[in-house]
Amino acid sequence: MSTPRIERLKADLFKDKREISLERALLYTESHKQTEGQHTLVRRALATAHILDNVAISIRSDELIAGNRTVKPRAGIMSPEMDPYWLDKELDIFDTRPQDQFHISEEDKKIYREELLPYWTKRSMKDFINSQFPEEIKAATAQKIFSVNQTDKGQGHIIIDFERLLGNGLGALLDELKDHSVKNPDNAFFSAVVILLEASIRHIRRYETLAREMAKTCGDDGRAKELLQIAALSAKIATEKPEDFFEAIQLFWYMNVILQYESNASSLSLGRFDQYMLPFYRASVAKGESPEALKEYLESLWVKTNDVVLLRSTGSAKFFAGFPTGYTILLGGLTANGRSAVNELSTLCLDAYQSIRLPQPNLGVRVNELIDREFLRKTAETVRMGTGIPQIFNDEVVVPAFLNRGVSLEDARDYSVVGCVELSIPGKTYGLHDIAMFNLLKVMELVLDRNKDNTEVTFEQLLSEIRQDIRHYVKLMAEGSNICDIGHRDWAPVPLLSSFISDCIDNGKDITYGGARYNFSGVQGIGIANLSDSLASLKAFVFDEKRATFKEFIEVLESNFEGEKGEQIRARLMNRYDKYGNDIDGVDTYGSDILRFYCKEVEQYANPRGGIFTPGSYTVSAHVPLGAVVGATPDGRHSGDQLADGGLSPMVGKDQKGPTAVLKSVSKLDNYLLSNGSLLNVKFTPSTLEGEQGLNKLADFLRAFMKLKLQHIQFNVLNADTLREAQQRPEDFAGLVVRVAGYSAFFVELSKEIQDDIIRRTAHEL
Amino acid sequence: MTSFAERPMSSKPNDCLEGGGDGAAPSTGRVFNIQRYSLNDGEGIRTVVFLKGCPLSCPWCSNPESRSSKPQVIRRETKCIHCEVCSWDVAECPSGALELVGTDMTMDELLKEIEKDDVFYRSSGGGVTLSGGEVLTQARFAIELLKRLKRLGYNTAIETTGHGNTALLMEMGKYCDEVLYDLKIMDPETAKKTTGINLQRSLDNFRGLIAQGTHVVPRIPLIPGYTMHAANIQAILDYLSEFDLKEVHLLPFHQFGANKYETFEMEYELKDVPVPTDNEVEAIKALVEARGYKVNVGG
Repeated sequence: MSTPRIERLKADLFKDKREISLERALLYTESHKQTEGQHTLVRRALATAHILDNVAISIRSDELIAGNRTVKPRAGIMSPEMDPYWLDKELDIFDTRPQDQFHISEEDKKIYREELLPYWTKRSMKDFINSQFPEEIKAATAQKIFSVNQTDKGQGHIIIDFERLLGNGLGALLDELKDHSVKNPDNAFFSAVVILLEASIRHIRRYETLAREMAKTCGDDGRAKELLQIAALSAKIATEKPEDFFEAIQLFWYMNVILQYESNASSLSLGRFDQYMLPFYRASVAKGESPEALKEYLESLWVKTNDVVLLRSTGSAKFFAGFPTGYTILLGGLTANGRSAVNELSTLCLDAYQSIRLPQPNLGVRVNELIDREFLRKTAETVRMGTGIPQIFNDEVVVPAFLNRGVSLEDARDYSVVGCVELSIPGKTYGLHDIAMFNLLKVMELVLDRNKDNTEVTFEQLLSEIRQDIRHYVKLMAEGSNICDIGHRDWAPVPLLSSFISDCIDNGKDITYGGARYNFSGVQGIGIANLSDSLASLKAFVFDEKRATFKEFIEVLESNFEGEKGEQIRARLMNRYDKYGNDIDGVDTYGSDILRFYCKEVEQYANPRGGIFTPGSYTVSAHVPLGAVVGATPDGRHSGDQLADGGLSPMVGKDQKGPTAVLKSVSKLDNYLLSNGSLLNVKFTPSTLEGEQGLNKLADFLRAFMKLKLQHIQFNVLNADTLREAQQRPEDFAGLVVRVAGYSAFFVELSKEIQDDIIRRTAHEL
Repeated sequence: MTSFAERPMSSKPNDCLEGGGDGAAPSTGRVFNIQRYSLNDGEGIRTVVFLKGCPLSCPWCSNPESRSSKPQVIRRETKCIHCEVCSWDVAECPSGALELVGTDMTMDELLKEIEKDDVFYRSSGGGVTLSGGEVLTQARFAIELLKRLKRLGYNTAIETTGHGNTALLMEMGKYCDEVLYDLKIMDPETAKKTTGINLQRSLDNFRGLIAQGTHVVPRIPLIPGYTMHAANIQAILDYLSEFDLKEVHLLPFHQFGANKYETFEMEYELKDVPVPTDNEVEAIKALVEARGYKVNVGG
């Protein structure tokens, strides 16, 4: 149970409707207008510094940890320098759009249209990207064969080196950077970092001042004392390195907020919190701090991570429903020398989650052969609560997957996750993990259509053409991604963030210029379940059983099964042929072969930062919009229907042999190649997991998952009836957290479509 | 309308009830379901193999499709899309509404299916449970299967009423880590009349298994109006008192099998019988625990 303070903090967060704050956009623009002619890096730094010095700040009642990105809780902020156009288009629908609603005042709309839009028109990153995309790429993205992402906001999807921040303190880091800057006076990156570290220190001192003023006037001795503590703490850590848990967390949170101003980006993730925070936690314990106080402080932080939400476009919100910001944390795992890294803070992080049950931070647990049984049980116990947290990652696959990408053994053992399920090496990687998505099912559709009048067509020929098309479009996707990559370099470098990524300081380069040690571009192959099912059905129906000619069959698909025998054919396709997810080699092999082919194509391409492309397979919530652009398919799916969720999950309702069979099917994919991450949703109902025995069986199930060399699994332990009730009476279920994909969200804040999808996913009840 | 018809194929020769224990194992077993990821029929994560055929006719049976030894074709109304003319051919039915209940599988085919969850058995200490029907109707095949499963190092269990050939059951017991043994109605006349069981034989077999060192777990189905009354429960507990057993399973009546009777157009006497309340189950649990047993409700 949480303390009353935590309950109040939680309630305050969700009291009012979310709003949009123009502050960041206005301050950024104000500065930008005055820095014409200077180096991009310096202009960017000055604009961010201008925000840090002038943005309104607040300490909300009851808060123990200071630092709010916006004065009002959970407000969205804008970055018109990236793409001012979608913001303009949506100004009038933010309040009412189906997913991720925000309120914006008429006055602010006017300011946006009269001040911001005119300035950024023709000056934004979007303009650059549009002007650079060749027609062929534009055509392919219009056909939704692939999409290039992050063309309208910051990249994010990165974990800074928190040890560098906490181990040195801002003062020492500033001295170090000044030294570099003096020695390299022409290096704009060093100059920019110095500007930003100085601004960060000033920003933290603003909180010190605010806290002292509030203490004078608050009229409550208890609260005044707390505010003075915040002031003292802020004064110290503005420059000095933290020495205990409270100081470390406060500095940590300030820096997270500051980085949000630099790039309004999704998923500046938190990495291995239980590792880098451990020395500070132990220092506080050694000083005699009570476990209750430390837990309350940790819970305060957990609540705070729900305050930062991302304002997405309607299109983007379909793909990433529920505005996750991706304060993702992985617990446990391995130490640099390969031992179990589980410690007392790992357990406390799960305990704090069990008390507050909010979707952020998005906790995950790394499992491996060496995991402590008690911690595995604690993990299973948390999973069993049914909120989808924690998600589970498998060291036995991910570490070798990184080795295969040229990452050192020690770095590979240190992996964590950004955003939802994207695998990254903390503090050393700029991975552009979500730069593109590739719709494998759409490619199949194109190939089938193209061959409609080919009377000689064979199944093998179709397979071969699917491969050729994948090869062709992967090339275009890489090209498009690289244009976007350069756009971010020239419009949105992130010098402050970069100063916390190895080896940017050594290289004297921003991450967008290739300063990081590891430089990937991650691209997701989507639709493998529907593709496997479709190929198996097509082969059986047309080529083996010869129930129709290929042309007749394509006509049935074109008619969306509406013709005379349409429904019978659809029934047969749905029910009489093997489906992925049931541990049947024949059908599973189609998917694994093609996904492998996709991966091997992707990994051949290089990006402008000197890194390679890496494949992943997760949809987040993109299975709905990606399905909307694919016509009826040979697996019996109607035109426009969603694809299988997750990335690697079987098609909805098609996994009929239970979760062990699902895991076996997924294990046949070459999961080592999916080094950008993959996603498997499995839904359990509580009755299968009751009691001590149920807990141990779930823990054993996780061990089996590990041995099968799957990369990722997450659970929703809910029954469909609970969710239908929540749809009927959303007001009674305001706090109900469900797993959408790589993250959890409030069920009642999701669109009806996504809600229905969650309800439909097979419940494995026996 | 839902219909079913017995397939015009020869019925499989059963291990007859009174026959000896020295016949050769048949090359195939007749299976009507293989349930993976089963959590409630023994240790760990298990696969339950349901063998077809049962000599009893318990009115509460939740697997009525298991009774006949013959394969049967059924039509599931909920799946049927009502083609203009029904082919009555399982292979041609587009929706899968026509279904063949009872498939003959060779030992190798069956093992291949079972071994698919090997990693789950090994991670959880689980294994395979043979259920039915009555496993004794295919005793020789079951014995051979259990031997093979033990060879692979799996935990093995059977569910039985003990109504069958004694020598075969004793042999089967040797390859079981656990025998889940149903004790139902303890009055021989009522038992015979209601379920068709030869109670004396069943009880003798129970004793025999324990005598030879097989780990036996008694299971009491709690069926209102049939087994779930004080005198019957007392009679079971009195009978058990001569053995040194640690654990008893209680299986409260449920209605999950009700719609199967409709599908099979079979008479279902317990259609309107309410499931036992939690209090009723708790009371019986207390009664059993008072005799020193660990009680597991739901098996």
